[in-house]
Amino acid sequence: MSWQQAKLSHTNQAAPAAVYPHRRGRVYAIFGLLLLFGVMVAFATTVGSVRIPLSTTIDILLSKLPLIDITPHWTSALETIILEIRLPRIILAGLVGAALAIAGATYQGLFRNPLADPYLIGVAQGAALGAVVGFVLPIDWQGLGLGTVPLFAFIGALLSVAVVYTVARVGKVMPVTTLILAGVALGALLSSIVSFLIITSPEQIHGIMFWLMGSFSLTHWSEVAFVLPYMAVGVGVLLVYARSLNVMQLGEEQAQQLGIDVEKLKLILLTAATLVTAAAVSFVGIIGFVGIIIPHAVRLIWGPDYRFLLPLSVLVGAIFLILTDIVARTILAPSEVPIGIITAFCGAPFFLYLLRRRTKVLF
Amino acid sequence: MVKLEMQGVTLAYGDKKVVEDMTFQVMPGEIVGLVGPNGCGKSTIIKALSRVVTPYSGTVLINGRDISRIPRRELSLLISVIPQIPLLPSAFTAFEIVLMGRNPHLGLFQYEGPRDMDIAWQAMEQTSTQCLAERRISELSGGEIQCVVIARALTQKTQAILLDEPTANLDISRQIEILDLVKGLCRENKLTVVAALHDLNLAAHYCDRLLLINRGGIHAEGTPIEVINTQNLEQVYGHGSYVHTHPLSGLPAVLPRVDSSRNSSLNK
Repeated sequence: MSWQQAKLSHTNQAAPAAVYPHRRGRVYAIFGLLLLFGVMVAFATTVGSVRIPLSTTIDILLSKLPLIDITPHWTSALETIILEIRLPRIILAGLVGAALAIAGATYQGLFRNPLADPYLIGVAQGAALGAVVGFVLPIDWQGLGLGTVPLFAFIGALLSVAVVYTVARVGKVMPVTTLILAGVALGALLSSIVSFLIITSPEQIHGIMFWLMGSFSLTHWSEVAFVLPYMAVGVGVLLVYARSLNVMQLGEEQAQQLGIDVEKLKLILLTAATLVTAAAVSFVGIIGFVGIIIPHAVRLIWGPDYRFLLPLSVLVGAIFLILTDIVARTILAPSEVPIGIITAFCGAPFFLYLLRRRTKVLF
Repeated sequence: MVKLEMQGVTLAYGDKKVVEDMTFQVMPGEIVGLVGPNGCGKSTIIKALSRVVTPYSGTVLINGRDISRIPRRELSLLISVIPQIPLLPSAFTAFEIVLMGRNPHLGLFQYEGPRDMDIAWQAMEQTSTQCLAERRISELSGGEIQCVVIARALTQKTQAILLDEPTANLDISRQIEILDLVKGLCRENKLTVVAALHDLNLAAHYCDRLLLINRGGIHAEGTPIEVINTQNLEQVYGHGSYVHTHPLSGLPAVLPRVDSSRNSSLNK
């Protein structure tokens, strides 16, 4: 009888259920949040310059599902407001919130640093520079199904992370600290260029500032269609590697000794998280706070296991951004407040409350 | 069964060579102790055997295969490591950490099943850490963390175990408990064990063979009786120790040398 196959006969006492990682509660949490997400989407479509009763909204949404037949008792204008104006915006807000939250959680885990956020290694600054160049240049290019500003922002985000990665790489390994420092340094450089471009093109300043603080105004289904595949692939990859991310928390040496190909894992996670972030920010600009705080809030409530932390962050991030977008578009209606202002204003007090209430170790 | 081997291995950090041209073998069912002064390269050898450090030249072999060509996951099914001063993420519970020992056994899309839980639980029983299972790492002492990491290595169920100062944080009875456990497992399951140890007395008692390492080379090799004698220790550690024979085991035992002549000269 070999050591690996040895029956657990001489001490066949099973572990008491109490010591098993408390999974059931977190599985319920995932289903509960999914439900809340659905409710939130339905609720968000009722709010706006035209108030539409919830029942009508739900009927309109349901009538678009296959196999459900509801005779329209609403005007076609109402349907357009819901399906072509509000719904794409709400879905995009949800996708972006999910993207930033899962990318933030991944970066925090990968760098084992609670201060990490999706913008740490130059994604935001690269996207900002790309976007500003798109605003300033008198051109109108299209590509990948995108307009000039989002196209440039997306390319800028990916380029800057690629540069950071190349600079930080030493032979076959990529030390995490070097990566962060390279990201911060390149970010500072790009930011200074962005500032320079802003002050030299005053006629574009309003559009640029709005983009930099983030906004979901003028969202169409085409934008949702662009973000969705990156989200699906990126989030899928991250969820698959969640257990590896747990083991990474032991540090690179111990992770290697437990069978993790650390350099490969870093590259996979970095690529997935960066793609997800870049796709999200290219349309809506730099929305702060979500990527750093949502994962921490989830950690405080449900613990550090990334197999739950990542999906729960996706859901909480989506719900949070849909909620803050409602505030952003109603508080000064008919004009809009950049959502980045609202995320911090609403989210920070809640997070401070969590911090005070919980004595659990955060990281 | 696993045979570990180093063939002419030189290990270096940058240009600084730490270990030079080292050759030795460890057979299944054998406990080999690495002893020697601070900074002699013991930990680096352990790291090279687990492929955390890549040799500057020479090859590390496992069952005759070059270790650098074996994928990480496969390697971690053969060798588990108990690191020196393990740093653990403080928010996880002890049981979650021990369960991570199952990582190499699980595919990407797999979850730990009841069998994995039972293996982890049994390893915690063997290391007397069951009572810590639900506690968070931040609430544990250094010695308790050490035992949790040992349980994690046992959960890996490998044929070879590398230990880097496994007893550094433990009290004397825990030291004996852990080393008894390792020795018992080694004998029962023909495990291949390499342990870097500071305590020469424990090394003499538990190891079948010792490698006395000095300045990155093997100074002496053999059974504890052959290796631990006053002459070898003087050459490696300087004048500071006195070797006599343990009254119960008949093995060499080392005491710090208390120089009576120096005392008397002070009295003059």
